[in-house]
Amino acid sequence: MSIPTELRGLIEKRGASRTVEGHITACAASRDNMRFAFTTAEGDVIVAHRADLAEPASWATYAVHDGAALALAPDTDPGGFLTGGDDGRLCRLDMHGEIEELGKTRRWVEHVVSHVDAKAAYIASASGKQVELRDGRGETVLKTLEHPSSVTGIVFDTKGKRIAASHYNGASVWYTQPKSESVRSLEWKGSHTGIAIHPAGEALITSMQDNDLHGWRLSDGHNIRMSGYPTKVKSMSFSRTGKWLATSGADVVVLWPFFGGGPMGKPPAELPGMGGALCTRVAYNPEQEILAAGFADGSVIMIEPESQRVLPVCLNGGSAISALSYSSDGCLLGFGTEEGLIGLVDLSAG
Amino acid sequence: MSDASLSSEPAETLVPVTVLTGFLGAGKTTLLNHILTAEHGRKYAVVINEFGELGVDNDLVVDADEEVFEMNNGCICCTVRGDLIRILGSLMKRRNKFDGIIIETTGLADPAPVAQTFFADEDVRAKTRLDAVVTVVDALNILQTLKESPEAHQQIAFADVIILNKTDLVDDAQLKEVEDAIRKINAFAPVHKAQKGNVKLTDVMDVGGFDLQRTLSTMPDFLENTHHHHEEGVNSVSLTIKTPLDAGRFQMWIGALLQEKGADILRTKGILNFEGQPDRFAFQAVHMMADGNDIGPWKDGEERESRLVFIGRNLNRPQLRRGFESCAVA
Repeated sequence: MSIPTELRGLIEKRGASRTVEGHITACAASRDNMRFAFTTAEGDVIVAHRADLAEPASWATYAVHDGAALALAPDTDPGGFLTGGDDGRLCRLDMHGEIEELGKTRRWVEHVVSHVDAKAAYIASASGKQVELRDGRGETVLKTLEHPSSVTGIVFDTKGKRIAASHYNGASVWYTQPKSESVRSLEWKGSHTGIAIHPAGEALITSMQDNDLHGWRLSDGHNIRMSGYPTKVKSMSFSRTGKWLATSGADVVVLWPFFGGGPMGKPPAELPGMGGALCTRVAYNPEQEILAAGFADGSVIMIEPESQRVLPVCLNGGSAISALSYSSDGCLLGFGTEEGLIGLVDLSAG
Repeated sequence: MSDASLSSEPAETLVPVTVLTGFLGAGKTTLLNHILTAEHGRKYAVVINEFGELGVDNDLVVDADEEVFEMNNGCICCTVRGDLIRILGSLMKRRNKFDGIIIETTGLADPAPVAQTFFADEDVRAKTRLDAVVTVVDALNILQTLKESPEAHQQIAFADVIILNKTDLVDDAQLKEVEDAIRKINAFAPVHKAQKGNVKLTDVMDVGGFDLQRTLSTMPDFLENTHHHHEEGVNSVSLTIKTPLDAGRFQMWIGALLQEKGADILRTKGILNFEGQPDRFAFQAVHMMADGNDIGPWKDGEERESRLVFIGRNLNRPQLRRGFESCAVA
């Protein structure tokens, strides 16, 4: 394990970092944006409180899973987190550090997402071919959604009315409303390995095994193909308004336009990279037209697409960035690497 | 994937993966438990199929779903195991927890999608290497199974190592008949006899069987024999050339050959002597998916020659020989 000697960039003045044991599998802020969690392939969850951001030694470590922690989402309550692991457990880590097992199966729990708005709260988790849709407490399974093959990604739409899952030969879109049983099957041959939904519900996008993206315009099911990547796309993030979709998978950040008829027939925009290193993670700021990108050389940068201005967040991270996420207020940016470096930067004014 | 891309990744840093195949009841799980419980000081991650009838005695066991899909490259034989891509990807995040990976397939499985996964997926290729396909054969039932099941032919054809199990249940004449039947299909994989899976670990684990390196170094005359069967079904052809090969010509020829006949050619393996290269080049292919890398210099006193083996259906030996010879430097 190589411990980076000197991290450069915004993290020097506005952030902190620490090296923990294990590959960092995900990171996310709690719903109140007061806590930020990192999950590891050792099954641990490391939680930084915003007040202790500058003191990484005080970030608490919780041994939640026996085996790797594979998935992370903010809990439906303000201060907690939800995790899935290859021990087949769906767990809640609450704001007091208490661990509660919400579900257990024989299969790896590979994906966890949550949704909260004024009307409803849901938790969904995927293991094998099944997606379990639960209520906001997570104790009641409202529906078990069956798919033709293993689910590789799940996503709620912005309003929580639908949940979509990617799998072989396409994606399935389900209504969360308990009485609705119907599924909309969007078909495209091949192995779909990840999923993202347009914030205004205009399109559903999947990443594919064959170094492409596929998409469906949700109004009419029209197919969208986006290709030209040298490697698989493992990270996708829509801008706040849905104007752009940022993706990893090339040595630059690739931005697909979702306006003016795009992305059909439009070339993507390319933003600056890190001198040839592969982009491994992208995250759009939820509040501003700025995005963060992580690279295989361990660098994290922020880019303002319009001006193409680049701000280094962390250089010399040592190994590939494997997790990257903003808090929903856009004020915290966290990242993790394959060799266990975790970093957190406070972007708020003052 | 028709191009014979000739990469050269260092093999030592990659995690060795052993694929354990064999017909229902041949003794795969018994062999697996024998491997896991033996005193070797090594830790394995084990990927089993959901229909496994016996328990597996190991800390890190993963259930697989055997989900096969076709690559979107217009080639129907380019099928890979999507579940393995996910499982291996996740296991590699815990690289420090084990020394190797063993994948057990269901008895009826065609080994091609498993093997092709190691060619087709960039992430799997970057971190693991297929060490060997080990096929367990039940000496008592195999002759009957071969009559009834095309999968049994595939499994023997794909083997880098064959474990002929339950030899205590047949007499010498029957054993001879079984060995001949195996040799007709796959003339090149070493056959180790066993009872209740009691094999030497060095015969099955870390054998480097997939790149032929050790197979050839331990059996110098192994490929000299010419097995030629004018009959239907799977068989083997081996070719040797003393003149150094032109790397470009070889790539052109093998690429076109696998593109055209890849559905019939199950396995291609070879150690090649490219003109002007100090190192031996190991070439391997599963159907149309090909790969290769340098495997170190020729040994002192070792004859520099290129040897190529095909296992498949409808192999036309004279045509293959002419094609291979056309790759020699002028």
